[in-house]
Amino acid sequence: MPAAEPEVVLEREVPAPQRNRRAGSRAAATDAAGLGRARAVGFVAPALVLIGVFLVFPALWTIYIGVTDYQLTGAAAAAPKVVGLANFLSALNDGLFHNAVWLTVLFVLGSAVIGQNLLGFALAWLLRGVRPWLRRTVESMVLLSWILPSTVVAYLWFAVLDRNGGTLNALLGTPGTAWLVTYPMASLIVFNTWRGTAFSMLLYTSALAAVPPSQLETARLVGASGWQTVRDVVFPHIRGHVLTNTLLISLWTANDFTPFLLTAGGPNHASETLPVFIYRQALEGGQLGYASAVSLLLLLGNLLVALVYLRLLRRRG
Amino acid sequence: MKRTWQPWGALAWLAGILFALPIGWMVLTSLHSEPDAATNPPSLTAPLTLQGYREFFGASTGQSSWPPLVNSASASIGSTVLVLLLAVPAAYALSIRPVRKWTDVMFFFLSTKMMPVVAGLLPVYLFAQKVGLLDNISYLVVLYTSMNLPIAVWLMRSFLAEVPTEILEAAALDGAGLITTLRRVVAPVAAPGIAATALICFIFSWNELLFARVLTGVVAGTAPVYLTSFVTSQGLFLAKVCAAAVVVSLPVLAAGFAAQDKLVQGLSLGAVK
Repeated sequence: MPAAEPEVVLEREVPAPQRNRRAGSRAAATDAAGLGRARAVGFVAPALVLIGVFLVFPALWTIYIGVTDYQLTGAAAAAPKVVGLANFLSALNDGLFHNAVWLTVLFVLGSAVIGQNLLGFALAWLLRGVRPWLRRTVESMVLLSWILPSTVVAYLWFAVLDRNGGTLNALLGTPGTAWLVTYPMASLIVFNTWRGTAFSMLLYTSALAAVPPSQLETARLVGASGWQTVRDVVFPHIRGHVLTNTLLISLWTANDFTPFLLTAGGPNHASETLPVFIYRQALEGGQLGYASAVSLLLLLGNLLVALVYLRLLRRRG
Repeated sequence: MKRTWQPWGALAWLAGILFALPIGWMVLTSLHSEPDAATNPPSLTAPLTLQGYREFFGASTGQSSWPPLVNSASASIGSTVLVLLLAVPAAYALSIRPVRKWTDVMFFFLSTKMMPVVAGLLPVYLFAQKVGLLDNISYLVVLYTSMNLPIAVWLMRSFLAEVPTEILEAAALDGAGLITTLRRVVAPVAAPGIAATALICFIFSWNELLFARVLTGVVAGTAPVYLTSFVTSQGLFLAKVCAAAVVVSLPVLAAGFAAQDKLVQGLSLGAVK
């Protein structure tokens, strides 16, 4: 990256004794406030203990439940048996599980990787060129959809998309169309794009601020098209931001429970993403062991995505 | 130059309005009388009234809607205070004194955010059932605290890292102790970041639905849970339900706009400034 060039040169030109002094001051700086090792550990320990008890321990418990035939009611509820990998094997043969995986992939690709990412970038790019007060106003309007409780936004969409009293049908002149029943996945993807774009927009706004204006000016002077400018000038600068953004919104979308509030997974499993599948298996079907095994698979999927992201991020430059 | 901005400005307005449309519908309907609220598309000229809000707070039924709001406030404020008490020292230690392996600790914090919330739900439910903590607001306080701690530590570390070490060294040379340093040197620089962290934790706790839905009932039900059942039972009274939705949204809207500038830095776990 050209922007980093001067700093590298500077580092190389620092004479040896001076460099030692700098290293020395940095070592001292690690404890500039006189915190001390014991106190530092003491400061971190309470947070670690709480996270251990309420996040890590439940996760381990989930792994354990996942290898049992634990159920909400009945004989297997009183005395669950360890069944080994049986739950995982039945997931592999469960058509409804395959369906949920596929719908989750569709949901993540459609609404997060494509929808929120592109729309968020487009908005950030667009708002660069408008007056500050207007930019601030539009950003706030977009942010509304992101910040509201999921119960509220789910209700709003439910009301707006309603078959009979819904405003959308009245506006489009399509009375009687039950959007959430006829096009459940498409509705969810549009909904989640609307819901989450604000984050990508704000993230790309701060990323675009880091692109040197002189390079954009040069691109304009040589007559580069908008797309060429984005690809050759802007993208190399914001590659890390694109990856970070895509990772975060993908994970949030994959784990999002809001679809349950809109369609409850229906009709007939047509919008049953993995979190909804797990919830229904556990609390409606009572299959706690199976639901935990699937949770674990979702967790592994998340980790896999995060690992791919870290690899891509390291390969920069 | 200025002339070419015009179409972009119009497009920006259009985008903003499209995004805010459902929310505008909610606010408008909440201010209508029930007969006006039932018209479709909503009337822009109908007289405005606060009747929906009065009804939500039980003007005619006498059934108060305050308990769930109070529950939500206790859970959100309680957990936010706890998060700050635990995260400020942790983040301070992690940013000021990088012990060997400290980055591993940071990544441990981060990794817990990769967990699907729904995966933790069953054990948390079973545990509450065993020890009798179902429908108890303090259980939610502790859960929200642990859920928000990782993000708070990451976020605050990125804010505290902005405190220049030179200032800390100068304070140490002047003989300032730990407490003095924290109060007189670190706090003034880090205060806006800490405030933003608190607001973000507040928003997350207030909006949380899955745990609240499964773990609470009549006594400790939070506002989002209450709203879900309110929609089911009062769904035909659009103005009343919209008023309820507006009331439930107000606290997070206030917090969100107060924290808007630091929001991205916070939610990207400090990866983006």
